[in-house]
Amino acid sequence: MTPDLTTAAEAAPTGTAGAAGADRSANRLAAHGLGLGYGNRTVVDGLDLELPGNAVTAIVGPNACGKSTLLRGLVRLLDPAAGSVTLDGSDIHRMPARTLAKRMGLLPQQPVTPEAVTVEALVRLGRFPHQRMLTPWSRADQAAVEDALTRTGMDGLRDQHVDRLSGGQRQRAWIALALAQDTDLLLLDEPTTFLDLRHQLDVLDLVSDLHAQAGRTVVMVLHDLGQAARYADHLVVLKDGRLAAAGAPGDILTAELVESVFQVACQVVPDPETGTPLVVPRARSRRAAAPAAPAAPVGPER
Amino acid sequence: MSAPALDRATDRAPGGATGGTTPGPGTSAARRRARTAGWSLVAAVLLVLLTGTALGTGQVRMTVWEALRALAGSGDPGNVLVVQEFRAPRVVSALIAGAGLAVAGSMLQRLFRNPLASPDTIGVTGGASFGAVLMLATGASQELIPLAALGGGLLAALLLGGFAWRSRMAVTRLVLVGLAVQQGLAAAVNLMIVRFPAELASSAMQWTTGSLYGRNWDEVWIGGSAVALTSVAVVLGQRRVAVLDLGDDSAGGLGLDPRRDRVLLLLLSIALASLAAALTGPVAFVALAVPHLVRLLAGPPTLGTLGLTALTGSLLLLASDLLVLHVIPVHGLPVGAVTATLGAPWLLVLMIRQGRLPRRTS
Repeated sequence: MTPDLTTAAEAAPTGTAGAAGADRSANRLAAHGLGLGYGNRTVVDGLDLELPGNAVTAIVGPNACGKSTLLRGLVRLLDPAAGSVTLDGSDIHRMPARTLAKRMGLLPQQPVTPEAVTVEALVRLGRFPHQRMLTPWSRADQAAVEDALTRTGMDGLRDQHVDRLSGGQRQRAWIALALAQDTDLLLLDEPTTFLDLRHQLDVLDLVSDLHAQAGRTVVMVLHDLGQAARYADHLVVLKDGRLAAAGAPGDILTAELVESVFQVACQVVPDPETGTPLVVPRARSRRAAAPAAPAAPVGPER
Repeated sequence: MSAPALDRATDRAPGGATGGTTPGPGTSAARRRARTAGWSLVAAVLLVLLTGTALGTGQVRMTVWEALRALAGSGDPGNVLVVQEFRAPRVVSALIAGAGLAVAGSMLQRLFRNPLASPDTIGVTGGASFGAVLMLATGASQELIPLAALGGGLLAALLLGGFAWRSRMAVTRLVLVGLAVQQGLAAAVNLMIVRFPAELASSAMQWTTGSLYGRNWDEVWIGGSAVALTSVAVVLGQRRVAVLDLGDDSAGGLGLDPRRDRVLLLLLSIALASLAAALTGPVAFVALAVPHLVRLLAGPPTLGTLGLTALTGSLLLLASDLLVLHVIPVHGLPVGAVTATLGAPWLLVLMIRQGRLPRRTS
C-alpha cells in the first residue's frame, strides 16, 4: 500500500481547498496536460488539474463539457491521447490494474445490473481486486461486505434482487459495491441522475458520510451547482474540455463564472440553509441581454 | 431477513424513473440455491439411470444395474466386453460432448449478452468440423483431430470477429454473420466429403450433422481430457465473468481489462465448444437449448448453475442418441438430426419470446 515517492515535479501543494484539518497531501489525483477523446474526436484538451486528497471534489460544467470523460480518464477507463494522470505522483497507467482497483473505486453513470443478482451478491463483487484466483472467500472479504451493507443501510435488503429495488435503493447497492472494494478514493459519475430530490439528497448525504466517517476521498460528477456547492470542498468547473475554474465553492462560484461557463445570467447568493453559494438564474425578462447558448450537440452526455 | 418490507415501503421512490419493487419472499437467494441443488440432483440421478439404460440396450440386453456393474468391470464377462469395448465409448462421448457444448453455450450467451448466441449460431461448430475434415483429408492420425477442430473453431471465431467487428459486435449482425460463417464452413465440409475416396467419406460424414457412431476409447481419452482441462479454466474464469456482467465500466473499475478479458473468455468458450464438437461433430442446438432450459429451472447463469448446465447437456445428448439408436426405426440416423428436429421449434419459441427477455445495455 505504500505509495511511490512523490516526484519533484509535483511537490507543490495544492492549497486550493478551503477547509483545513484533513491531510490533503495523500490520495491526490492529478492530471498533467491531459488530453482525452474518442477516436479522433477530442473531448478534454490539455488539462492540468490537481485534486485535493481526503476531500470531496465535485466536477461540474454544462452538457458535453467533458465531465464524465474526465472522470473516465481519471479512473483509467480511457487512455489519454496526451499527458498523464497521477495518483500520489505515480502514473496510473503504469500501475497494475488490480493495484489501482484497490486504491480507486468507481460508480459508473449507467452500471449494468446483472439479472436476478441479490444485493449481497452484487456487493461481494466489490472484493474482486482483493481476491486471487484460487483463494477462498475470507473473513476480511466478508467484513468489508458487512461494513459496506451497514454504511449504506442495505443490510436488511441483502437478499433482495437488485433489479427489483427502487432507484434510490439500487444506487445505494452500487455504492455499497464500491465501498466493499475498500479503496481510499471513490469516484462517482452523476450518482444522482434519475433520482427524485429526496433520493438525490439521500445519496449525497451518504457520500458525505463516507468522506467524514469512513475517510474516503470522493470525486464526483454532479449536475446541480447548488448541490455541488453544498457537498463539495473543492469544485472543478469545466467548459469545452478545458478548466474554467477550480477551488473552494465559496471562492470561485461567482455570477461571472456561471455566466461565462453556462451562458446563463444569474445571481449567486448565500444558500439560506448552509451559506454556500446558491445560483439563482435571472428572470427571463432580464436574461434577454445575455447571449443565447449555442445549440448543444445531439448525442449522449459525455 | 429483518423486515425488508418496512425498508421498502419507506424507501420507495414516488414516481421515480424505476418501477416499484415487487414484493417477494425474503431469501430468494437461498431458495434459488436450493432449487439449483435440487434440480442438479434430479439431473444426476436421471443421468446415471440413462447411462445404465444406454449401456444395457442393444443386441445384448441387460438391466441398468448389470450394465453399470459391467462398466465397472464386474459381472458377466460377456457383458463387460460389450459394455466396455463397444458401448461405453459412445456413451461417454455423449456425456462429455453434451456437457462441453452446453457449458460453452451458456458462457457465450452470457458474454455476448445475447440469448441466441451459441457455438452453432456463431459458426464455431462448423469451423470445428471443417478443421476435423481437413485433417481427415490429409490422412493424419486421429489424435490430431481435436487439435484440428480447435483450430477450425478459432478460425470461425476469427471470421466472425472480422465481419462483425465494424458493427461493434451488434447482436443481430453477429447472429447473421455467424449463420453465414456456419453455412459457408458446412458447405466446405460437404465439398471435401464429396471429393473424398469412399472409405474416408463414411467416417467424414459425421462432421456434417454430428454423430456418435463408432467412437473408440482413444478418441474419448484425448477429447475428454481436452474438454476437462478447458472446463477447469472455464470454472476458474467464473469470477471474471460475474464482474464482466456489471458492464465494461464497472469491470474496468474493479481492475479488469474488459475488452481483453471478454475476448479471452470468449476464446476459452469457443475452445470448449470446438473440443466437444471434435468428439461428435456439429451436434445442433444442445448448446443453444440447454442454457435456456437451465434458466427456466434455476434462473440466470451463475457459478452454481454451471454444474446443472453440464448435467443437462449430457442428459439431452445421451437421450437423443438413445432415440437414434433404439427408438427411431431409421438405420444410421445421426444424433444431430434428432437434436436439430427438437431444437428448431425451440429456436422459434426463443425468437418469439426474445421481446420479453430482459434487455441489457452495455
